[in-house]
Amino acid sequence: MQIKPILSALRHHKAGTILIAVQIALTLAIVCNALFIIQQRITMLTRSTGIDEAHLIRLQNQWVGVDDKHVGSLMQTDLDTLRRLPGVADAYATNSTPLSNGGWSTGIGLKPGGKGERVQTAIYFADDHTLDTLGLKLVAGRNFRSSEVVDQMQHDGLDPPQVIVTRAVADKFFPDGDAVGKRVYLGNKPSIIVGVVARLQVPWVGGWAANWEGRSTLVPRRLMASGTNFVIRAKDGQIDKVLHSAPAALLASDRMRVIPDDDGVVTFAQMRQEAYQSDRGMAILMGVICVVLLGITAAGIVGLTSFWVGQRRKQIGVRRALGATRRDILSYFLTENLLIGATGVVLGMLLAVGMNQWLMNTFEMQRLSWPWIVSGVIVLLALGQAAVLAPAIRASRVPPVVATRTV
Amino acid sequence: MLAYYLRLGLRSLRRNPMLTSLMVLAIGFGVAASMTTYAVFRAVSGNPIPDKSAQLYKPLIDNWGHANGRTSDDPPNAMDYTDAAALMKDGKGVMQTVSYPLGLSVIPADPKAKPFRVYGYATYADFFPMFGVPFKYGGAWPADDDARHAPVAVIGEKINQRLFGGANSVGRSIDIEGNRYRIAGVTRAWNPQPRFYDVNNTGGFAADPPEVWIPFTRAVDLQIPTWGNNNCNGRVAPGWDGWLHSECIWLSYWVELPDAAAAARYKNYLHAYAAQQQQAGRFDWAPNVRLYNVTQWLADQHVVPQESQVSLLVAMGFLVVCLVNTIGLLLAKFMRRAPEIGVRRALGASRGEVYRQFLAEAAMVGVAGGVLGLLLTAGGVLGIGMVFDPDIARLARVDVSLIALTLLVAVVATVLAAFYPTWRAARVQPAWQLKSN
Amino acid sequence: MLKMTHLSKVYRTEVVETYALRDFNIDVKEGEFVAVTGPSGSGKTTFLTIAGLLETFTGGEYLLDGVDVSGLNDNARSKIRNEKIGFIFQAFNLIPDLNVFDNVEVPLRYRGMKAAERKQRIMDALERVGLASRLKHYPAELSGGQQQRVAIARALAGSPRLLLADEPTGNLDTQMARGVMELLEDIHREGATIVMVTHDPELAARAQRNVHIIDGQEVDIAEDPRFHAEHAASSHV
Ligand SMILES: Nc1ncnc2c1ncn2[C@@H]1O[C@H](COP(=O)(O)OP(=O)(O)O)[C@@H](O)[C@H]1O
Ligand SMILES: [Mg+2]
Repeated sequence: MQIKPILSALRHHKAGTILIAVQIALTLAIVCNALFIIQQRITMLTRSTGIDEAHLIRLQNQWVGVDDKHVGSLMQTDLDTLRRLPGVADAYATNSTPLSNGGWSTGIGLKPGGKGERVQTAIYFADDHTLDTLGLKLVAGRNFRSSEVVDQMQHDGLDPPQVIVTRAVADKFFPDGDAVGKRVYLGNKPSIIVGVVARLQVPWVGGWAANWEGRSTLVPRRLMASGTNFVIRAKDGQIDKVLHSAPAALLASDRMRVIPDDDGVVTFAQMRQEAYQSDRGMAILMGVICVVLLGITAAGIVGLTSFWVGQRRKQIGVRRALGATRRDILSYFLTENLLIGATGVVLGMLLAVGMNQWLMNTFEMQRLSWPWIVSGVIVLLALGQAAVLAPAIRASRVPPVVATRTV
Repeated sequence: MLAYYLRLGLRSLRRNPMLTSLMVLAIGFGVAASMTTYAVFRAVSGNPIPDKSAQLYKPLIDNWGHANGRTSDDPPNAMDYTDAAALMKDGKGVMQTVSYPLGLSVIPADPKAKPFRVYGYATYADFFPMFGVPFKYGGAWPADDDARHAPVAVIGEKINQRLFGGANSVGRSIDIEGNRYRIAGVTRAWNPQPRFYDVNNTGGFAADPPEVWIPFTRAVDLQIPTWGNNNCNGRVAPGWDGWLHSECIWLSYWVELPDAAAAARYKNYLHAYAAQQQQAGRFDWAPNVRLYNVTQWLADQHVVPQESQVSLLVAMGFLVVCLVNTIGLLLAKFMRRAPEIGVRRALGASRGEVYRQFLAEAAMVGVAGGVLGLLLTAGGVLGIGMVFDPDIARLARVDVSLIALTLLVAVVATVLAAFYPTWRAARVQPAWQLKSN
Repeated sequence: MLKMTHLSKVYRTEVVETYALRDFNIDVKEGEFVAVTGPSGSGKTTFLTIAGLLETFTGGEYLLDGVDVSGLNDNARSKIRNEKIGFIFQAFNLIPDLNVFDNVEVPLRYRGMKAAERKQRIMDALERVGLASRLKHYPAELSGGQQQRVAIARALAGSPRLLLADEPTGNLDTQMARGVMELLEDIHREGATIVMVTHDPELAARAQRNVHIIDGQEVDIAEDPRFHAEHAASSHV
């Protein structure tokens, strides 16, 4: 196929050519960035928390009219009630859990009093049942002993003698993998790392914890506050039953408490759903926009090419009369579209990178990687060829006899 | 003549239903995507208190400096107890309040009824007139009660309904966590969005209105902890008092100042206060203070969610593509009618008449696209809960102004898109007809 | 009515300059019926488009109704076309989307006439051309002769004082051509000035006066040698 005659034909309908190229360019820029946003969000929402979500329930409990100092015994009674419940494998009480988007964080380092290099870590209040309940695996060291678990008032400094940390924390300070037995500092007194777990995500799924979402620390403490979270592990297939029996059992043992009706008792599956709602929604929105955008661009190409075919019927007839085969006509239009598409995607790549740069500056988004642009380019060129196929086939069916007709 | 052009346009649009529906779909989708995301953006970026947003100010004092490896040059976005108490004592504004969020259990008088949770604020009497809280019964507690650390409360309509069947409960009492409070007032539903007065703890958006307020002084006496964020930097001595006198930030301070001059004076006052703290040796850095009005504060705290901004931008890009698409299709459609245009010109149509004829046709596409866009926008706003945080999504509404805007955007955008094709159409030479035989 | 002196028209394209008309002179009096003849490409259509204010000219002077038209803007020219001039094209040029009635209505619309008056005039014009029964037909449903009669009705509806026709019978068979010619003669008798370009010597002969154009210039048929040469050549074909 010769390109020169196509180029000179394109020069005759400059405006239409430019419009299609611009449309392809804008579509490419938007689709690349939208796909990239989708990918980022999906990476976010498929991250594991490290815990056995499928079997876990969170129960938010608030004791009423109790002095914080006396919470300890109430907590123990409730835990006994829960652990005895049929269908419950284990349970513990804590300040926060992964996917809850609210919790406690502090700096952790190798020197006391907040000096030296420190990184941010989430603090989870825990006891000797925590690892079992959450289904966390120790990769080194041991679990807390029940004797190590003591009460902690809300406003007192946090300096537990023992901690269990995630591998992300351990590797930060002890890259050789020998963290167990070493000292770290949350406050002013040292804490000995007694165990290391493979992974435990921090409570926050959003942006502010993005750089340290795996750095969690378990402390052997019972938080003396009138509100607490019970985490309950149900036995296989019992989770729906426990969802109802657990709050009922607690209320039966002591009515002076509040377990909120709406989100008081939820499974971790529900928590995940809620925590990542806006990420999933954003991915869906971007996906819908991509699909509709590609559809509209394809339809636009079909529309304009059909018009050109209609306009050039006579000319096509003349070519056919002069010996052009159907294939020649078909490939004429396909090549024409490819040329326009190529111009469009070159322009589009620049636009995509520019748009990404701008998004990076304004919204702390990551840099668009080449594979995304390349796949966008392929998608758009293929889309263009597919869109032009129908009108091109119609053009190739123009009979040579058209040449002899006047209009 | 307009009716004539509309009739001609309709006929022409009916002639290629494919092309016409393509344009209508493009405009409809483009406008709907933009309007749906705009509905959300409008809701989250609105001014929550338009009458007073320039009189309400948020003072910030840097009580952290660069201690403990902190790198930010901005003061923390909340206040510690020491500074809040000092500013409150000076009372330099027309009105001022300091508040923190509460999560409390209410124990109903009826022993058979279960206790339930309520959320609200510990604050000062000025809170209510400053922020324009509407009352159904009674009103704010008198300022004296703040000084007396009195057990009084303002409650919301919803718990008034639950506890008192909606009757006027002013003067009656409510049991909160075992303490009794005399009810001073019952508010109507009041939930300005964004929740400018408590951005620190809500990020700006909270679906449920606060339902209870008690004096700040009373709450501190009872050692009721904050239900919101508490961020500490540096040492905290044990116990409630240790915490109160730490540099932990957990309080939201607001002051009402009548005008810019007063604001400038207040800023000087803050500066002087910080300088005094520096001299006293509490801060070992130069005074670093801020004074934001409501809109500045919302902007500073980036209250408008990133999702909302990005999706609005992407949707607008989408609309632009749809318009480019429409330009192309209109161009094809109009230029196919070059012979007709030539004849009309030869028969005496001026360029203006050609413009009017074709813009009228485009406007009809715009109206059809707008109607489709309206339906899709309505669907989009319903479905937006899937995409955005429900606290935010429920703020997006289809109201008269959104309907009008959708139609306007559709028609204006289409007519703009039609300008180039129409210009080309109007340039068709009248002689074209004779020469092209 | 129509007076051109030393008129010239140059078409400039990227490669060539074409003199479609050069030093062209003509004077058509009110009420005359002039036939314009000449070989293909000699500038007949160009003359007509300039006479009808469809195009501007490059040099010389053109007085229409005693008014110098060179200074008029596009709107003024449109108005004159609409009110004073009627066009009949070789290819009829009816608007395919509009039915007969609506086609005839087009120039009246631009004149801002009341609906009742428009209707009256359209019916009168269609009656004249014998197509009053075909109001609702679309151009595609009419024969060539009928289409041209609709085109004439459209030209007549506005009661123009000057009727310009470019080979109005070129696309018609002899029978139909004669019908159209008779119609034009009728119109002329009622006082309209008609300028008609034609190839057909028989039709040309029926006009009051013949103007011959060769290479963009008006020539005297009797004297110009080019005419004889061309005439001889064409008679061989
Ligand atoms: N729009 C134009 N652009 C360039 N050249 C033109 C144009 N219109 C006419 N011409 C040239 O002007 C000359 C006269 O054309 P025309 O008036 O159409 O002749 P006729 O009608 O006598 O056949 C021809 O040589 C033709 O090629
Ligand atoms: Mg000609």
